[in-house]
Amino acid sequence: MKNEYIPKLAKIVSIKEEVDGQRAIKTFRTHFINNEDFSHKCGQCAMLSVFGKGESMISVSSSPLINDYLQFSILKTGRVTTALHEMGTGDVIGIRGPYGNGFPIEDWKGKNLIFIGGGIGLAPLWSIVQTAITKKEEYKELLLIYGSRTSKDLVYKEELEELKKKMTIHLSVDNEEPDWKEFVGFVPNNVMDKKPSPENAIAVTCGPPVMIKFVIKALNDLGFRDDQIYTTVENKMKCGIGKCGRCNIGSHYICKEGPVYSWAKLKTLPQEY
Amino acid sequence: MQNILLKKNFSSWLKQLNSYKVYAPVKTGEVWSYELIEKPENINLDYPNTIIPPKKVLFPQREVLLEFESSSVQEMKLKEVIPEETPSVIFGIRSCDARGLAKLEKIFKGGFEDIYFLKRNRHTVLVGLACETPPSPDCFCTSVDGSPYSKEGLDLLMTDMGDRYHVESITKEGEKLLEAGIGLFNDPEETVKEELERIHRESEKKIKRHIKDIDKISSKLPEIFETEFWDKESLSCIRCGICTYSCPVCHCFDINDEVICTFPLKGKRVRTWDNCQFPDFTMHSSGHNPRSDKASRLRQRIMHKFNYFNENCMELLCTGCGRCISKCPVGIDIVEVLEKVRVYEK
Repeated sequence: MKNEYIPKLAKIVSIKEEVDGQRAIKTFRTHFINNEDFSHKCGQCAMLSVFGKGESMISVSSSPLINDYLQFSILKTGRVTTALHEMGTGDVIGIRGPYGNGFPIEDWKGKNLIFIGGGIGLAPLWSIVQTAITKKEEYKELLLIYGSRTSKDLVYKEELEELKKKMTIHLSVDNEEPDWKEFVGFVPNNVMDKKPSPENAIAVTCGPPVMIKFVIKALNDLGFRDDQIYTTVENKMKCGIGKCGRCNIGSHYICKEGPVYSWAKLKTLPQEY
Repeated sequence: MQNILLKKNFSSWLKQLNSYKVYAPVKTGEVWSYELIEKPENINLDYPNTIIPPKKVLFPQREVLLEFESSSVQEMKLKEVIPEETPSVIFGIRSCDARGLAKLEKIFKGGFEDIYFLKRNRHTVLVGLACETPPSPDCFCTSVDGSPYSKEGLDLLMTDMGDRYHVESITKEGEKLLEAGIGLFNDPEETVKEELERIHRESEKKIKRHIKDIDKISSKLPEIFETEFWDKESLSCIRCGICTYSCPVCHCFDINDEVICTFPLKGKRVRTWDNCQFPDFTMHSSGHNPRSDKASRLRQRIMHKFNYFNENCMELLCTGCGRCISKCPVGIDIVEVLEKVRVYEK
């Protein structure tokens, strides 16, 4: 019998400061110390351990096509994420997983993919964006609509600049800023402004709950059916394997049956997230 | 099958089980609880029911999952802490609690396996004791697919017949315990079967609490999810959590790191029972809380037991032991709540 609760040890191989200040975000890349098998799907999560502090469920932001490292972009919020932010290159953490269902990207071949993210919500989307770009021939048009409170709160700034050469990206900030040439306003407003077509398309959105709510409304208004809209849900988790009893929405444990849901499915479940 | 044991031979049988760790109810002050027994010959099965169900033997209130140690941040040693694989036997389990353990096994086995529970479970033989009379005035096992003499989850079922026990073997593991007591068991007299049926039938009749139309209630629950019903029912809750700690099937837990020394770092990762009635149970680190009020937490407890689990496993997550009713300091009564659900009109 495999012991699911024992994490595999990994070293932090690089740390990038994405955002500083009160709502700091860092991107960590890790290497397993022993050659561990960790084949994840886009949108799956991992339970990260800082020994002495505890565990926290974080989405894997690197593409499954990358074998060299696992990447996690982490907002400094609670006990474990704060401890992670204090760690340095070479430090050891624990990783167990992967957990959750992941995005059904196999079903999305031949479709236009529209990614809509807000703030740290770009992290779970990033693994599909990277995968779709690498396998561009399998999909039609790729579009990313991404925004944050201020330009300083955007993650993956340099990577986004690079990515603009390969796909259409529309950025936004909530309020006017000097030198900001792109959209000003909330993400759902940017969606209404850019009016992506629902024709042969899948829209995937991730971000703060209130943003998701209005993005879904905007997409519905643009003619997207509920089964064309996907999002991820998060709740507090301890075990990651459907036993500890706290991440459920109705009869679903998000750690197992989630975190990815089509809006068609999610709207039938209690709104306890 | 020789399965009649004179009560005066009970302690001799227990002496034969010296290769097992034996757990049984022990009275401390006014309450009974399952404890590891040093001298099995002293077990007294003349008891109502324990304050905490026997789940605590297989799923301890606090258990170490692993130990970690490191002399620098750049290295870490982990030690998996696995339960000992000593054959154990739990004596005197009431049928409701045995069914509770069977449900816990489903939960800990389904999907990812929980080896801490399953290893203990695999090495533990469960000996039940049928209820001649309901151990509590709040018992309602017959309303939730159970009975005072249900064999579900058990290896042996004992029934008190005055000066002797009828001991029914249910599994091979149970059979082995009977074999260990060879020479102590007698053949049943012809009248035993009839007598046994009478005892079981009588005990069922003595149960006072009943839930009408449990299936209808189960499927009606989602309809009243978004109503003020839950606000009213949860008003008196003081979120003490005794309802779930004393429940034979509640299995929610927390995992935390306990640090013994910060440098060099040394500590343990510990699992402890947790409780869906606590406000911070579902609180995100951002402060957002999907079940922030008492109403949504009581609703979760009822929905989980009578609807969600039913949806996932086709059975109820309640065995009718009545502990949550007897122990609740403010009188929240699950049988009454369900009756109110049954008659509720929006």
